[in-house]
Amino acid sequence: MENVSALQRTAGKKPWHKKLMDGFDNSNLFPYCLIIPVLLFFIIWNLIPTLWMIGMSFYNYAFTTGAPEKFNGISNLIDIMNNDTVWGNLGRTFTWVLATTGIETVLGILLAFLFWNSAKLPGRRLALTLLFTPMLIAPASVGAFFKLLYEPDFGVINYLLSLFGIAKINFLGDLKWAFPAVTLVDVWMWTPFMILITLAALGSVPKAELEAAEIDRLPWTKRLVHIIWPYGKFVLMLGILLRTIDSFKTMDLIFMLTRGGPGNTTELVAIGLYRKAFEGFTMGWSSTLAVILLFIAIAFTSVYLYILNLSNAEKE
Amino acid sequence: MNKQNLFKIAGLIMVFSMLLTACGTPATPAPAAAEPAKAVEPTKAPEAAAPAEAAKPTEAAAAEAAPAAADHPLKGQKIEMSILGIGGWVPSRLGVDMSPLFAEYAKKNYGYDVTFTFQEAPFSDLFQKANASLLTKSQEYNIIISDSQWLGAFAEEKAIVNISDLIKTNPEFDVKWVSPVVADAYQVYPDGSGIKWGLPEEGDVVVLYVRQDMFSDPKNIADYKAKYNADLPQTFEDWEKVDMDTFKNISEFFTRKDQGLYGTAYQYSKVYDFMTMFLYPFMFSTGGDIWDPKDGKIFGILNSDINAKAMEANREMLKYQPEGALQYDIAAIVDAFTQGKVATAFQWAAEGSAMIPDALKGKVLVVPPPAFKQADGSLKRVYSVGGQPWVINAYNDDAHMRVALDFLKWWYLPETQLEYAKRGGNPTDAATVNAAGFEDIQPWFKAYKYMMTSEHTRDFWHEPTYSTMLSTQQEGFTAYASGQVNDAKNTLDWIACEQQKIQFEAGRTKIEPDASCKNIKLDK
Repeated sequence: MENVSALQRTAGKKPWHKKLMDGFDNSNLFPYCLIIPVLLFFIIWNLIPTLWMIGMSFYNYAFTTGAPEKFNGISNLIDIMNNDTVWGNLGRTFTWVLATTGIETVLGILLAFLFWNSAKLPGRRLALTLLFTPMLIAPASVGAFFKLLYEPDFGVINYLLSLFGIAKINFLGDLKWAFPAVTLVDVWMWTPFMILITLAALGSVPKAELEAAEIDRLPWTKRLVHIIWPYGKFVLMLGILLRTIDSFKTMDLIFMLTRGGPGNTTELVAIGLYRKAFEGFTMGWSSTLAVILLFIAIAFTSVYLYILNLSNAEKE
Repeated sequence: MNKQNLFKIAGLIMVFSMLLTACGTPATPAPAAAEPAKAVEPTKAPEAAAPAEAAKPTEAAAAEAAPAAADHPLKGQKIEMSILGIGGWVPSRLGVDMSPLFAEYAKKNYGYDVTFTFQEAPFSDLFQKANASLLTKSQEYNIIISDSQWLGAFAEEKAIVNISDLIKTNPEFDVKWVSPVVADAYQVYPDGSGIKWGLPEEGDVVVLYVRQDMFSDPKNIADYKAKYNADLPQTFEDWEKVDMDTFKNISEFFTRKDQGLYGTAYQYSKVYDFMTMFLYPFMFSTGGDIWDPKDGKIFGILNSDINAKAMEANREMLKYQPEGALQYDIAAIVDAFTQGKVATAFQWAAEGSAMIPDALKGKVLVVPPPAFKQADGSLKRVYSVGGQPWVINAYNDDAHMRVALDFLKWWYLPETQLEYAKRGGNPTDAATVNAAGFEDIQPWFKAYKYMMTSEHTRDFWHEPTYSTMLSTQQEGFTAYASGQVNDAKNTLDWIACEQQKIQFEAGRTKIEPDASCKNIKLDK
């Protein structure tokens, strides 16, 4: 009997640590404790460096002179506004964004239509895997790889051209060719992403509506405009926006291919910033430029969020 | 959130950011990663363009010449040393490859065990790596193979040991160099002050590598004679007399695009100082200059008509160089030369072992690069100096400082320098370079010795602002070389304005940028 009553006593009792955990689970602190690690990570690695960068943008500080930083207000900003190289780089970057994202989108859509509804096509899976491979490779590796392909003397591309009697082209060293050549590499690398996005967009179109259109013998253009586009446009636009933001930040690929040359013909704003910050070590000035770029990125992100909200609103 | 609140928050963020930055920039150094050497004394803030006060070596390190093993303070201890050097650069690597020899020497003479690790980074990133480490007062790298132009930055930060002070107690470091250019390039900052901060690890100069198998081909000799009514240079002495006009003929003669052969190659790359190093000789050798180190004047010196013509002459040579020469860096020159794509190549003497692989042994002649004819008919050649000094981390603790000094004392022993030369390094001490038979050790040593004189070689700024000024001029020089801009004088005007501004804003000169600078644009 004693054993039984002891069991009864302990059955109602919870060990202290369980009690503590229960109390903790039920308290208001619990959700905050869960987000503390993420919050700490965010504060240490994002917030403090960003605030530091914003602060540094008001100072004249070079990494190399040993001199303390000097507060100079908005002088860096004024200097950047009057700096032709920065404007040139920004202009080139927007051209780059338009060219790469535009071509990748058009090609991506065209190629995605080829693979749409082709589930029974033999070798489809292999073809898609091969097609998606470029975007899985590190941009630095792609850069090194294409540098060899473009090589004027032993590069494969020039060899192939020579078979058709076309004279050697110095793709990466020629003012006329350098920009199109690096654009082509980016297109090769990122068109698969747009194919993937377009396939996702096409996948969101209800099959019933497509079948109804088929039965009604709706012309292909009308199917595209009235059925496919309304369902697929948000996914596609998100894809375009993601590519736009990513393209705006391009650095490693071009750095490997041309390092911004010849001259400045392929120097995008991210490369210009790298040169100023980590070759020129002008930390204050570079921070100001980084802050400006941060605002541009925020602007892009706002458009992204606006479209996302628009999509949600339409669904509701 | 209304607009008023938004502005308030933005304002608060900015004020907080500024405070954060003001309170915690590297100018207020972080605690030392290691206990710094006792005698690395705090130094006063340097005046503009004045030398920083010496960061002094430790008491232990300042002891007199190597004691016997019996009384060495590190006897019986094990020490790990770390050297930071240039990745893929043979002479840098040699310093570490030879370290087992020092380990034996140290064990025998001092009684301690030492091992070395080698950290490396390419030229373009090494300064970033070294400086970031030194700014935190770390002794992560006990010895650094620096580039000569970084002496100013390191010295102003008081991050490296003042060698002038060191010599007072360690006379072994007062080595007699082969030429005054060695001290000017690898040791002294500020320019002309005589205050030493580095010790030469490797000397280097621009030399011309010639495919002698092509030049001695009887058909080439006959064809060249027929076309130019002159002889193709065959010997070192012949090349001493070659001027740039003759060299253009030679380059034109060997440029046979249909055969994939070009006259010459040198660097036009935007990376680091690559184009600068091969454009400067055109300026220095034709009477141009880049600045006045005494008062920091750049505008009016760099943007001279002489220098503009030098830039034009440098670009003109592109027509005798392979497609893609605008991207050429050190490795690309090695490839072009060893693959038989070019008949000659301007290249660093330090690349000798890469430029003359086994397959080309006996087929390559290394000679002084072409001279430039002066108004009086005389010949002048002044090329850029390469090479790197050792610098000693001022934050080394006593033990590591001691070993660093022991290592460098061993480095300058005649037998060590001779071994270094045999392995392909370029020594700078007079005893080794002037010794009988030195020129026969390596195929490029005769040209190296010829060029390593103040008459034929010079360095440029050792300023703390070096990297900023370099980045600017690389942008301008490569824009002109590529044809993106076509007015050499305007390009130089723009560079001179930018550099004068950099120096003025850094407090390195009292000369403000010229008033005309407001209207000067690179891409006018």
